[in-house]
Formats: sequence, C-alpha cells, structure tokens
Amino acid sequence: MPKLACRRVVLQFVAAAAMFIAVPMVGPAVAADPAQIVQNTAQQVIEIVKTKTGTDRQAAILGILQANFDMPAMARAALGTHWNQATEQERARFVKAVATAEAKAYSERFGQYGGQTLTIGKVTPRANGATIVDSRLNQTSGQPIKLEWEVRGDRITDVKVEGVSMVMTRRSDFNSYIQNHGGKVEPLVSELEARAAR
Amino acid sequence: MIGVTRAFAASIRRSMVAVALAGTVVGGCASGDTGAAEVWDPLETPNRFIFSINRAVDVIAFRPLAVMYRDLVPERAQTGVRNVLDNLGEPVTAINEVFQGDPNRAATTMARFLVNSTIGVAGIFDVASSFGLERTKEDFGKTIGLWAGVEPENGGFYLMLPAYGPSNARDGTGLMMDYLVDPFRILTFNLAIDWDVWQIGRYGMNAVDYRSRTIFALDDLEKNSVDYYAALRSAYTQNRADQIREKREKTNARGELERRDNLALVR
Repeated sequence: MPKLACRRVVLQFVAAAAMFIAVPMVGPAVAADPAQIVQNTAQQVIEIVKTKTGTDRQAAILGILQANFDMPAMARAALGTHWNQATEQERARFVKAVATAEAKAYSERFGQYGGQTLTIGKVTPRANGATIVDSRLNQTSGQPIKLEWEVRGDRITDVKVEGVSMVMTRRSDFNSYIQNHGGKVEPLVSELEARAAR
Repeated sequence: MIGVTRAFAASIRRSMVAVALAGTVVGGCASGDTGAAEVWDPLETPNRFIFSINRAVDVIAFRPLAVMYRDLVPERAQTGVRNVLDNLGEPVTAINEVFQGDPNRAATTMARFLVNSTIGVAGIFDVASSFGLERTKEDFGKTIGLWAGVEPENGGFYLMLPAYGPSNARDGTGLMMDYLVDPFRILTFNLAIDWDVWQIGRYGMNAVDYRSRTIFALDDLEKNSVDYYAALRSAYTQNRADQIREKREKTNARGELERRDNLALVR
C-alpha cells in the first residue's frame, strides 16, 4: 500500500502545482509542452495533406512520424512480449516496416484536405510519466472525432481515435498473427515488409 | 398464424432472458481485469467462422448496398432517414438513462422524442437539437458496463454475432434487453399490425444506415491489419470501453482517475 499512497501524494502535488502555476508539469527532465507538440504535429500534417500527394506525401508523413513520434517505443509496445524473443536484426526490420506501414496508412487515410481543424482540450499529466492531451478533430460536416494523444517527453507515443488506441490495436493484431504463425516474429516482419513494398 | 408467431416470440423471449442472465453471470466473473490485456475470446474458433460468413455476405451484398445508399441517395434524404430511426430509438435511450441513474437526462430525451415526433414530423427533422436538446444514444450494454465493478474493457467473453457483428457477453445481453424493453416493438407486436414487416424494415434500414457510416473506418482497419478479426476485436472492445468510461467519469470522476492510474501502473 505505501506505493499507492505515495502515488496519490505525487498526484495531489502535481494537481496543486498545476492549479497554482497553471502550467502542466510532466516531470523534471521535460521542458516541452505536450499540447504544443500535438498542435505542431497536427499543423504539419494538415500542411502536408494540403500540399502533397502520393509518394511525396508518404515520405513527408514518415518524416513526421520519425520526428514527432517515438516510433521505436511504439513498435516495441505493439510487439508486446514477442519483442524479447526477436533477434536484434528482426527488431530493426520490424521497426522500419511498422513505420513505413503507418506512413502509408496515414497518407492514404487523409485523402483530400476537407477543412478539418484540431481543437486541443484538457491536458492531463498521468502518474506513469505520460501526459494525455485530449482533442477534437472538427469536420466540416458531421460530428467531431475524439482524439487523445499520449505524450512522453517530447515525443508522441500513442493516438486514440474514439477510444481506439493505435498501439493497442496493432498489438492485438500482431499478437494474433504471430500466434497463428507458429509463435515466430519472422513471418510477421516478412508480411509487413511485403505490404510496404506493394 | 398470429397465434403461432406470438407463441414463438414468447418462447424466444423466455429463452433469451435465460441466456441474458447466464451472460451477465459469466460476464461478471471474467478474468483479466487489467484492461490492458488481450480480449477474452474463448469462442474464437466459432467466432472466426461466423466472422468469415458475415464478411462474405458483407462483401457480396451488404457493403455494396451501403455504398450505393451512401453515394446515390441524396444527403438530405439520408439525414431524414437517420433522424427517423434515431427518433424511434429515443424511448430505449430514455429507459436506459433511468437505469443509469440519470432521470433528468431521460426527461430531456423524452422531451426530444415528443418534440421531434410532432413538430419534427414523425422524427424526420431534428428540431429538438435546435431547441438546445442535445441527442444522446444509450444502450443496455453501456448501462451494465456503468454499474459492473470491472474494467470497461472486460465485457465478458467476446462474441461475433451473425449478421450483427462484433459484440460480447455484456453488449449481447444489452442488445437483448434493449429489444425486450423497446416500446415500438411491443406496440407493433401487440397491435399485430404487420409487426414483422415494420420491425424488419426498421432494423434493415438501421443496418444499412449504420453500415454506410462505418464503410470508411472498417475499410481502413481491414486494409491496415494483418489479422482483421483480431484488429476488429480489439478496436470494438476499446471503443465500447471508452464510451462506458465516459459515462463513469461523469458519475465518479475521481474514482475513475485513480482506477486509470492503477491501470497505467499495471501496464
């Protein structure tokens, strides 16, 4: 129980600090503002979707993923326990394939820019060192889409769309694939690479 | 004919209550409370089998129909259809809001229903929203999830329903409860005014409307996953958990925050 009590004290301290200083505190080592990181990322993505198409767009999105997102950590989380049994070479190939797959998915997902804007909402520092940034993606027609960003340090580590976490969904997806292919990481990596080349 | 149908419906009703209760009991003692774990899916083999049939029907008939509906029917007509269907669903939402311990919200929903059914011409126009009466959509799966003392990710065993799609013990039970308490089903049934025609028409339209709105998301999920079944299972569970969490946060903000922090530590 002492661990729990300690966490509560820390939480109260953070809450109190946020109340008085009105600046969300993430941790001593972090200087970047999570809301600003999210805002910048969204701005850059909108700019890319407006101006670029096809492979140009995919390359630009990949650049953003590598600059603003913690891709190695996300890939590792998505692989779950299978990360430990993967070889060094498999891990490197996996991280690369996942980044390419995500870049491809995102560049196709957005299609043409339709006047969407991102409104940043509540910023909640969590006890585990991450900060959750709530936001809404406003569309020109229809309901706004709920987006939550998990930020650690100066990198984004997860995006939740209507509560569906990108990392968690990939994790279930990959885990199931691995289990259905003899519990090995290799077939998954090959499959992802084949898809990236397509 | 009617007698036979009625007896049949009654027997279905009885057996459904039994299944519903069983579902709740089993769902209540499901393992894996961390929320971060994999979805509990003991019926994976039959579920995958039903999923493959659902997908075949979807690819051949259902998705094309939904695409046509989305692209060919004028947008205003689609909005009208959606409003009518939503309006027919308001009483069930109101009943659920009562069970969720929010009678004020239930009253607002009923006010919406009355306004839209009359001024809104049988629900075609959502006038209530312009009066400031916001729309909510509740179901019994969410009601169970709100009161169940488990992580909302834990909805009991995962269940792939024929034609309907992803569900679980909690939401499947909820679906049956919503069906049982639905005043419109009871009304058309008891008046025996071709209830099957009306109900099938309504559920059919609901399905087409819903599918037409999920084309983009589901296509995306399918294209970007290596195991569509597993990805959908995860996405469905997370999305439902998020809806339930939103409800819980409204009723108990602090408790939910602490629970989430505990969860983060487990993770």
